[in-house]
Amino acid sequence: MSDSIASAILLTLAAYIAAGVCFAFGFVFRGIYTIDPAALHAPLTFRAVLIPGAAVLWPVLLRRWMLAGKKP
Amino acid sequence: MSTGYVAVQWSRHKRLYDASVAIGIAIYLGAFVGVSKAFWAGEHGISDEVILIRALGSCAIVLLHIILCIGPLARLDPRFIPILYNRRHLGVITFLVALAHATVAVGYYHGFGVLNPFRSLLTSNTNFSSLRAFPFEILGLLALLIMFLMAATSHDFWLKNLSASTWKRLHMLVYFAYGLLIGHVALGALQADRGSIGPALMFSGLCIVSGLHIAAGLKEYRKDRGAGTLVVDAGEWVDVGAPDEIPTDRARTVCAPKGERIAVFRSAGSISAVTNICAHQGGPIGEGKVIDGCITCPWHGWQYRPQDGCSPPPFKEKIATYQVRIVGGRVQVNARPLPPGTPTTPALASGGLS
Ligand code: HEM
Ligand code: FES
Repeated sequence: MSDSIASAILLTLAAYIAAGVCFAFGFVFRGIYTIDPAALHAPLTFRAVLIPGAAVLWPVLLRRWMLAGKKP
Repeated sequence: MSTGYVAVQWSRHKRLYDASVAIGIAIYLGAFVGVSKAFWAGEHGISDEVILIRALGSCAIVLLHIILCIGPLARLDPRFIPILYNRRHLGVITFLVALAHATVAVGYYHGFGVLNPFRSLLTSNTNFSSLRAFPFEILGLLALLIMFLMAATSHDFWLKNLSASTWKRLHMLVYFAYGLLIGHVALGALQADRGSIGPALMFSGLCIVSGLHIAAGLKEYRKDRGAGTLVVDAGEWVDVGAPDEIPTDRARTVCAPKGERIAVFRSAGSISAVTNICAHQGGPIGEGKVIDGCITCPWHGWQYRPQDGCSPPPFKEKIATYQVRIVGGRVQVNARPLPPGTPTTPALASGGLS
């Protein structure tokens, strides 16, 4: 793999994950209630274990959050 | 059932299990390092870092083999079911051990240069067309990414919110990761001329894993085609057997023509049928018992009422039910599932049309 391709891959990945981490914090304290009300009174540790997954799968969660927000 | 989320569902049993796994790992790593140091002492000694890399890598691969064997073992012999409950904890632990292996490897082989270690990992070896010099570390990296995805989504929240089928598909990737790791170990050994013990062990592991999967698959295939699958009445009603062939408070599982399994329970003199697939994680309900009047899944104990497939309040889970009847002293179940939570009329174990 050439240096420039490797840098491009790593930069893209880093940007994706950075966006994901920001999203994840917003999600576990807000968005989560719109898609899963069972999380209402869940403890902090529960929110913490969701962060790694949310930081990677954020496009899926973002879509569900938007869709759920639109429902009356 | 879903009363509220917690970070880790620990019970006394699971704590005990996790503690034994942690102790097992510590003993393994200690023994590996000790033996390696004794073997490669003196002038040609291997550095401590490399020993640690090998100890952690092989430990992760052993754990992965255990994980892959638990499923078929539990299907072959119900006595293994209790260790199935905690497979997810084992998965997360395995990921952490593999992560430690990769961290030490990246730090040791790529970290001390001027390059960013990740960039070095991707660029230092580009011999993709050569088997002897193939960048085996990239295979390990891909496998590690898959293991991360599985560990990160192991909480029930993900099972529910990614939908069970997506979740299951995601976790099936473990077989792909396993394939990548076979390459990682075999090609890595080829490159370093480290002898063939590692690859040989890996090959025996592969034989055990595939052997167990084939045996479990065959057993299920035979069961599906065996007694109890006789289709009567134009494919609508499936024969289950005589009422007393179903053990009290237990089920007999039959297979509908399209392949879905139906669990037919007998308890308190009546017979009712529900899907064999638990709403929680697809556990085999038909291997469970009726406890306090509710069908109880053997995997994590979710409960459903036999007559309507609903969990008792305050829970809201529902599973599909099936109509049952008794004709000529034989229990029959209708192959068409009713929507989850539909009430049915249980057949009386002693009586019915004849
Ligand atoms: C970024 C990811 C990874 C990197 C950079 C990496 C790197 C390495 C390296 C450099 C070696 C050779 C060590 C030596 O000098 O003998 C090795 C061996 C090995 N790795 Fe990995 N690895 C990664 C991921 C994994 C994963 C996810 C697993 C398993 C779950 C794994 C299992 C093994 C095993 C079993 C060996 C052979 C150990 C032995 O020969 O005793 N690796 N890895
Ligand atoms: S699969 Fe978890 S309780 Fe049935």
